Amino acid sequence: MGRAPAPTPEREPGVEEILRARAPQGPVSKKLPGPVAWFDVRSRSTGHLAFSMNRITGLGLVFYLYLHLAVLSTLLGGEDAWNGFLELATTPLFLGLDVLLVFGLLAHGLNGTRLSLIGSGFVPNHQKALFWSFMAFGAILLVYTAVHVFGGEG
Amino acid sequence: MMADGTRTVRVHRFKRGDDEPRVEEHRVPVEGITTVLEALRWIQLREDPTLGLRHSCFHASCGTCGVRVNGREGLACVTKLADVPGTVTVDPIANLPVLHDLVVDMTPFVERFPPPHPIVRESEFLPESATPEGLDGNDRFEDCIECGLCLSACPVAATDDTYLGPAALAYAQRMLEESRGADRDALLDWADQDAGAWRCHAAFECTEACPSGVRPAQRIMMLRKELRRPRPGRAPEEPAADTSEHF
Amino acid sequence: MSVSTGPSTRSRSWRWTAITGVSLLVLVTIHMVAHHFVVDEVGGLRTYQHVLDYIATPAIFVIEGIFLVVVTAHAMLGLRSVVLDFGLSEMWRRRLERALVVLGIVTVAYGFVLIGVLASRA
Repeated sequence: MGRAPAPTPEREPGVEEILRARAPQGPVSKKLPGPVAWFDVRSRSTGHLAFSMNRITGLGLVFYLYLHLAVLSTLLGGEDAWNGFLELATTPLFLGLDVLLVFGLLAHGLNGTRLSLIGSGFVPNHQKALFWSFMAFGAILLVYTAVHVFGGEG
Repeated sequence: MMADGTRTVRVHRFKRGDDEPRVEEHRVPVEGITTVLEALRWIQLREDPTLGLRHSCFHASCGTCGVRVNGREGLACVTKLADVPGTVTVDPIANLPVLHDLVVDMTPFVERFPPPHPIVRESEFLPESATPEGLDGNDRFEDCIECGLCLSACPVAATDDTYLGPAALAYAQRMLEESRGADRDALLDWADQDAGAWRCHAAFECTEACPSGVRPAQRIMMLRKELRRPRPGRAPEEPAADTSEHF
Repeated sequence: MSVSTGPSTRSRSWRWTAITGVSLLVLVTIHMVAHHFVVDEVGGLRTYQHVLDYIATPAIFVIEGIFLVVVTAHAMLGLRSVVLDFGLSEMWRRRLERALVVLGIVTVAYGFVLIGVLASRA
């Protein structure tokens, strides 16, 4: 014997629904349009620079992940295919790109560590000092890496 | 006013019905202590009475005169032109609809706050009383003058109009810190929604922009700490339409 | 009945982004040292046979496999964070999130196939 389902109680609209339903009364002032507004760091301070840098390096590293898988796939083509890649990869331009990759890894990794700390409620009042000290440490590591990468024996 | 010189002030202009906003330039006589608000009032009184702007107290306690000066948020009444290099460009605060010139619609800002939203709470403590147990000090959140500068500065609010924003989230944290009978679970649920505390990217622009020392970014981090704690007493059949389940 | 629930479910994404991120500090360091600081060739890059011998070592296979999973998870969580900022409707957000899950699974699967085939050729 079927029973009519209980009527769904009407719930109050959430904030998101209220804000989406509201017709804007006028143009909203922004420097850049919505999805890339985070990219505009003009007149902004350390925290925003860190956020934009984190996002740019993150997107760059995602691109690199797939590029790396594609490059490693040349190994499937045998020794000649891999040697072809190695010839390209040991040119100064590519070694420079390697150093750029290390920059991206250091910037994203060290800033990410900073975000984990402050996002967990540790030292949120020292976020600027944390950023600059981590970047200084990263710069030292980057210089060391660059010297090693370019100075390696061939 | 006896002028030390003049400054070029470029002002954002928009009226309903206009296709696009425009910028108008004025040469304003200034002294060493002339503020942005005084310059705007001079333009309004001497050159263009149709210039729309909001202001009230003239001493940074009402939060009405928020603007962006050369891209940075500030209260016009206490921003000195002497501290602004080069040509001065005044825009309305960002991420809220512009009604007229420098006047924005604050309704979407206010709607973000969790209910209830008492503007003034009756104080239970006299200034000479001891600090209540569990609090480091009497750090009054009532410092928030709801000027909207934090929302204007927030890069997340710039990309997503539905993000609750620093002022509302910091308000919720303050209510948790000193609940006085407020429903903590409801506040935590409210902060935990898709457009809530977890959307903050820790840019700390809100703290930079805040003229009242509220430190909204730090409060959002503390709110997150609170959200990560287990909460006893919740009914298991409460729905959790959570997108994070996908990971 | 009073039931204790875990931490906020929406905090899970943030927590896993942080956990995978901190794990990557170790895993990326191992990976970079192994591929750029051990071998004497220019750039520290290995020859064909070196790569096969390297990936066929059981401990290395496991470490690189874990690295693959963790880096893909972190990448997908990061992309999800970017997608959330687009201000999309709930329907489109969920679609994109599902697409990221699929992309993540395909990436990990391809990676394991790749290192498995290479290890078998050593």
